[in-house]
Amino acid sequence: MAEGWSTMTNVPTHWYNIAVDLPKPLPPPIDPYEGESRIALLNRIMPSELLHQEFTALRYVPIPEEVRDIYARLGRPTPLRRARGLERLIGNGVKIYYKFEGALPGGSHKLNTAVPQVYYAFKDGAKEVATETGAGQWGLAVSIASALIGVKATIFMTKSSFMSKRQRVLFMRTYGATVYPSPSEVTKYGIEALKANPNHPGSLGLAISEAIDYTLQGEGRRYIPGSVLEFVLMHQTVIGQEAIEQIPEEPDLIVGCVGGGSNFAGLTYPFIGARLRGEGFERTRFLAVESKAAPKLTQGRYEYDFPDSGGLLPMIRMLTLGHNYVPPPSHAAGLRYHGAAPSLSLLVREGIVEARAYTQEEALEAGVLFARSEGIVPAPESSHAIRAVIDEARKMPKGSVILFNLSGHGLLDPDAYERVS
Amino acid sequence: MGISRPALGLYLTATYPSVRHFIEVLNGVRGLVDFLEIGIPTGNPKYDGPIIRMTHRSAELKGLEAVKVINDYSKYSKAPVLMGYAADYIDSLNEVASVARSVNAVSVLFPDLLFDYPELIDKYVRVMEDSGLRPSFFISSKTPYKLVKRLSEYNPLFIYLGLYAATGIKLPIYVEQNVTTIRGIVGDTFLVVGFAVNSPDMVKSLIKAGADGVVVGTAFIQRMSNLESALSLLKWLRGGLP
Repeated sequence: MAEGWSTMTNVPTHWYNIAVDLPKPLPPPIDPYEGESRIALLNRIMPSELLHQEFTALRYVPIPEEVRDIYARLGRPTPLRRARGLERLIGNGVKIYYKFEGALPGGSHKLNTAVPQVYYAFKDGAKEVATETGAGQWGLAVSIASALIGVKATIFMTKSSFMSKRQRVLFMRTYGATVYPSPSEVTKYGIEALKANPNHPGSLGLAISEAIDYTLQGEGRRYIPGSVLEFVLMHQTVIGQEAIEQIPEEPDLIVGCVGGGSNFAGLTYPFIGARLRGEGFERTRFLAVESKAAPKLTQGRYEYDFPDSGGLLPMIRMLTLGHNYVPPPSHAAGLRYHGAAPSLSLLVREGIVEARAYTQEEALEAGVLFARSEGIVPAPESSHAIRAVIDEARKMPKGSVILFNLSGHGLLDPDAYERVS
Repeated sequence: MGISRPALGLYLTATYPSVRHFIEVLNGVRGLVDFLEIGIPTGNPKYDGPIIRMTHRSAELKGLEAVKVINDYSKYSKAPVLMGYAADYIDSLNEVASVARSVNAVSVLFPDLLFDYPELIDKYVRVMEDSGLRPSFFISSKTPYKLVKRLSEYNPLFIYLGLYAATGIKLPIYVEQNVTTIRGIVGDTFLVVGFAVNSPDMVKSLIKAGADGVVVGTAFIQRMSNLESALSLLKWLRGGLP
């Protein structure tokens, strides 16, 4: 098991909702005191089933058979692999496993939630979905899911990535999606941002506002988010549920990178949930790795804030740098986000999840080491997790076990590695 | 000191829109509701929806002064539950409990207690019990199971499940499924549900799903300028009780 491309595990039948096992309750979303109710707005923009899932009291939410079928067609369960080359490089007898979400057609974990979200939009009668994307992995996943399910996709991509990740833009268009650089000239939020700064690099928060505004402009559209909201994290728990089945030994450390928190949560929450229920993994540490370009876990404030720059969505309590924070351009665009999902923020606050931030250079250097020892070029975002894995492994005793989420491959990110390599 | 099953409850913000009108409403609802939840006007009703927030802003009196007018209203037969924000009284829980006793209330519900001050749950319970009141707790559908179970072991007057994200705003949530799930955890504890309740069919389905009591607030307040219309709403909603 776990020596090669494991195919023994079945596609999970349920998603896991960690909220009901947390040590403290998740504070609910709230409206600000000024303006229209953002909570009421959710009715107009989001697929209805997703809103139910955001507020469900169930611990395990059934995955529709149609979604499971698509998961299987796209390659779930993804492989759990042993990083023997990286282990040799480190050379102290620490064992390293990784869950390879880059094996999915979009090259990242994002399809795990794109498929159900587009599916639920379609079930609501939507003809089109709109969303934001940073590096393009989420946009690509939505493009693929939309093509398979039969709805139109419109993607607002942060401008810095739109310019540097042209191949991902072309891929999205290959799947039939319309892709705009954000800030764009098709929404009022984009126009305002361009007016204030014609060279605005864009941010995920701004792209979210644009996608929502675009959704409200037309009939038959639904907005679907790529991270932060709790149902997004819940959909990703197929990763961790499979990993629990696949991994032959209990990990001492589980690592993932964090933009909004979905890939980290996807791998770790089934493990953390088991521990919170007293069902194992007592000694396992959980390490969330962020970019120093957007260090909300290590430097953010725990407070109510908007998930989007325009303040269109309800406020959620999270670790945040402020919704107007514009992270500096970075190759790890998926990590350029001002806040972390409420459940992850709470787990960090409670000391159940540790947090660490790395610079882009530190991360990409680790990504190159991984590429040369394992044969897979990691996504720049995932390289942040790899940096932490290498640093931690060097300090751990022989026989220790590390599991991390290789959330995506970097085959479309060679420009990121150009300087380090 | 309990509430009959099944029950229809009414939420009002004390002294909204005026002391006189508030008292008139208290008079009018006698016999139409099984329990009353009286909000203590606050400057920061953050977990409430737009209508209830407006009532806090517009109440004639603010804070505990607003609640004390119930004291002048000795004819009212149902002992109310007060509802306030713990953030306003974090250093003066005893004072709230004392005022609650003075107006013949049976409990004080703090909707922000679990979210913002979970470390104060034991202190809150102690203050309630020392004052001859019973604790009551507000939870959301995502409150951890272990905590819900623990709350039910305090022998509260009730556990109040907020059906939606905020008062008065419906979302496409399977609220009956959530009620049934929470009922499975709280055992025999009196389970109150509320937020955006506006039809007898909804009352009926919530009771069938496992609720013991259903609270109406926003829908009533929206009709309060015409008391007759507001009272008709209560009669209509009572039709949903078995």
